[in-house]
Amino acid sequence: MDGLFAQILTTAFLATFIRSVVPLLLTALGGLFSERSGVVNIALEGLIIFGALAAAVSTQLLTPSLGQAAPWVGWLAGMLVGGLIAWIHAVLSIKYRADQVISGTAINLLATGVPAVVLTALYGVSNESPKVEYALPLWGAGELRFSPPVFFAFLAVAITWYVMYRTPYGLRLRATGEQPGAAASMGVNVRRMRYSAVILSGVLAGTAGAFLSIGNLDSYVRNISAGAGFIALAALIFGQWKPLGVLGATLLFGLLQALSIVLGGTNLLPSTLVQALPYLITILALIFTGRSRAPKALGRPYDG
Amino acid sequence: MLLFPLAALGRGFSADAVLLHVTGSVMNLTSNQQAPLPPTGTILALAWATLAALAVTLAGAWQRQRWFWVTGLLTFGLATAAVVVLGGALDDQTKRVLADTTLRPGAKRQLGNFYASGGMNLGLFLPALAGLIAAGAGLSVRPRVWQAFNRMRSLLVPAAAIGLAVLVGAVVVLIVQPSVNQSGTPLSLWGAWLAKSDLVYFVYSTLFAPVTALNPLLDSLKLATPLIFTGLSVAFAFRTGLFNIGAPGQLTMGAIAAMLVGVYGPPSLGYGLLALSVLAAAAGGALWGAIPGLLKARFGSSEVINTIMLNYIASSVLVFLIGSDSFPFLGREYPQPLKAEGSNPQSELLNGEAQLRPLLEVLNVGQNGQVALSIGLLVALAAFVIVRLLVRKNRSLIALAAAAALGALTWRIGIPVTVTGSQLNGAFLIALLCAAGFGMLMWRTAAGYALRAVGLSPKAAEYGGISVAKNTILAMTIAGMFAGLAGTHYVNGGALDEYRLKQNMPVNVGFDGIAVALMGQSTPAGVVASSVLFGTIDTGAVSVTTKLAKVNSDIVTVLKALIVLFIAAGGFLSRRVTAPPPPALVAAASRHETPATIDLSKPLTPQPNVAQASEDITREGNK
Repeated sequence: MDGLFAQILTTAFLATFIRSVVPLLLTALGGLFSERSGVVNIALEGLIIFGALAAAVSTQLLTPSLGQAAPWVGWLAGMLVGGLIAWIHAVLSIKYRADQVISGTAINLLATGVPAVVLTALYGVSNESPKVEYALPLWGAGELRFSPPVFFAFLAVAITWYVMYRTPYGLRLRATGEQPGAAASMGVNVRRMRYSAVILSGVLAGTAGAFLSIGNLDSYVRNISAGAGFIALAALIFGQWKPLGVLGATLLFGLLQALSIVLGGTNLLPSTLVQALPYLITILALIFTGRSRAPKALGRPYDG
Repeated sequence: MLLFPLAALGRGFSADAVLLHVTGSVMNLTSNQQAPLPPTGTILALAWATLAALAVTLAGAWQRQRWFWVTGLLTFGLATAAVVVLGGALDDQTKRVLADTTLRPGAKRQLGNFYASGGMNLGLFLPALAGLIAAGAGLSVRPRVWQAFNRMRSLLVPAAAIGLAVLVGAVVVLIVQPSVNQSGTPLSLWGAWLAKSDLVYFVYSTLFAPVTALNPLLDSLKLATPLIFTGLSVAFAFRTGLFNIGAPGQLTMGAIAAMLVGVYGPPSLGYGLLALSVLAAAAGGALWGAIPGLLKARFGSSEVINTIMLNYIASSVLVFLIGSDSFPFLGREYPQPLKAEGSNPQSELLNGEAQLRPLLEVLNVGQNGQVALSIGLLVALAAFVIVRLLVRKNRSLIALAAAAALGALTWRIGIPVTVTGSQLNGAFLIALLCAAGFGMLMWRTAAGYALRAVGLSPKAAEYGGISVAKNTILAMTIAGMFAGLAGTHYVNGGALDEYRLKQNMPVNVGFDGIAVALMGQSTPAGVVASSVLFGTIDTGAVSVTTKLAKVNSDIVTVLKALIVLFIAAGGFLSRRVTAPPPPALVAAASRHETPATIDLSKPLTPQPNVAQASEDITREGNK
């Protein structure tokens, strides 16, 4: 047991912790925009995967011509593809009034098939992309060296808070999610607000994907997200759909993930069962969260 | 028709083909440039006639003539005739090859397959389809036909979704797969297009091919079995306005429970052990489904997230139980008793009494090693349907008795067939029973009425005295039970090649269940039908994978996802098309009046919108 505590109180553990938090935080902030506008976004998991794939593949393809700048373009590509796929979800659930959970599930199912097809077409293997020559650079000192999306993630919390509570856009977005009819009567374009919010969620989830594939690792591998999108969704609920709440929730979930990584390396508990701990904790956390704070129009297509 | 090749006159192993275009030009992409080709004169003549008929049909349809269904039917008939003539010509070639004594056996088989794999192509298939659609559209002017079509309206969205998914899939194949050319001569732009469009047809014809022969059909039914279970599971929850993404986890728990009873239960029970094992699978799944149901009813936590989390937990439990020989606990190593010895992650073999034997073995009434399938089941089914239609009073009971009697009488009569063995097992029958039970419970009992009421309007249901919380738990428990029973297919049915639980059990069929349930419009018959369809393309995907370099079974995963996507969008069809016309409109039309304003924006026979119902159930359940 002493060994475990000694391991936890190191900077290496702190680095693991922060790396576990970042994808959850970025994705949950994305989900915050979407759900505050009234669109359930269960597609986050798929959006991470598409972002990760796009980032890794475009970095790999652009390295010969761009060199060290390639991963930055890869990050951009991850954001763009994430936004594009989120746009599909937006079209279905806003324009075609689709069942938002089903349309999100369709995106997640696509994310289990499309990467394999793309990778087979490009490289002839279906479950991973070749390693990129240059991943995103690491900034920092000692063991605490992180790729840029990490800093971006924590900056994004502040930006999200400011946008949500201090700008007209944020006010309109929140109104759209609570009472779309009332918002529309005040001249807010409900559909446009929802489109922008869903696409923004795709951009943020795409960034989380880019972090996983070219910021944390150096290639895309199958199942790279390992349920991060769903845990982020749970963190969003646990954080009561508020930017600071989301930060707190993802810090908690990230800590548990990092703990399970460290615990899995010891012989205290079977590592296979320890891997399931974050998922179990997620269920427990949801028990202690009421749903009363959910945006009132969540999941409802807007008829106006 | 001008854009696509008419037919493939022969095809090599890696999908390289000899293509015939409607202009009569032949393009040989195979390595065998000297292969003699069947005569094409009649086929081309029929093809031109088809083209003419199609043009006349289109002109007639454009001017809204009353007769264009005749030419539509004619188009279909001519195209079919061309296909038949082509098939005959290719058959002649195959026979010629078989009769040829100068060929070595290997070369003979190769050349025989070369002709046998030929057949119609997009150039004949599309006009036939267009002709059929035109005939249907033309005939729908008549009230009786219109009413018949009207009853099938609910098939529109799934059909449109499949059509769109096939279209997008075709584009993917066009982009991804380079044209197969083994002739050595480079292709012109036009030739490359013909070769590519041939590949699209080849991919789809191979995907849907398994329905045409007995053995692949049995394989399809085998792959369809778990899909029926998980499809029913998702559909059941849908009907109550809940979304069960937890079928993979419920399946895993069901399989583990079935294995525990099947391996460690007392063999002295005889077939009771099998029954017990099947019940255990149901209980394991039901437990895993009840947890999110309970959490939703009690604490209002989202069943969507909870079921997903339980999937991950179940897969961890599975790996823990049979993944490795020992596990550490508080610093010491303990042996893992459930895992079988050896390097493979799997459990011990099941007792013989707990095994569901292959259906071929059960239905085989042939003697002396001959395989002959009993016709008893088919006769019983036919008797049931016919008697039920004829008798008026107590018809279900009388029909059941008649079916049982006739089935028992004809049990000994068999049709000799040639099959190479198939792992289609008794789980398939359990699946069909479950489908029937789903229908009975949902539409013939008060409990089913309550469940559907909660799905359509939780608020109204609560007001009407139906407990939303209780029905939420019930729905998730039964949904979990269906998914758990899928475990019997893998463990008791030996679908993983051996009668034991293995770590590589394909739990993703749980996610396929979502597509199946949506395709089947959450009805039991629809679920069974779409499961068979998906089982078919899953089987076909195996042969596509072996033949093409860049297209493999992942394309099927994409197709299924696209189907879900397009169904979510209602097939991009207007509600005016998909919803049955409101009675007021029909009445007004029959009196030749213009109806008063009718709101067509809402579906009239609604299915729950789970994203919306899920929130409502939470709000109602938490009051």
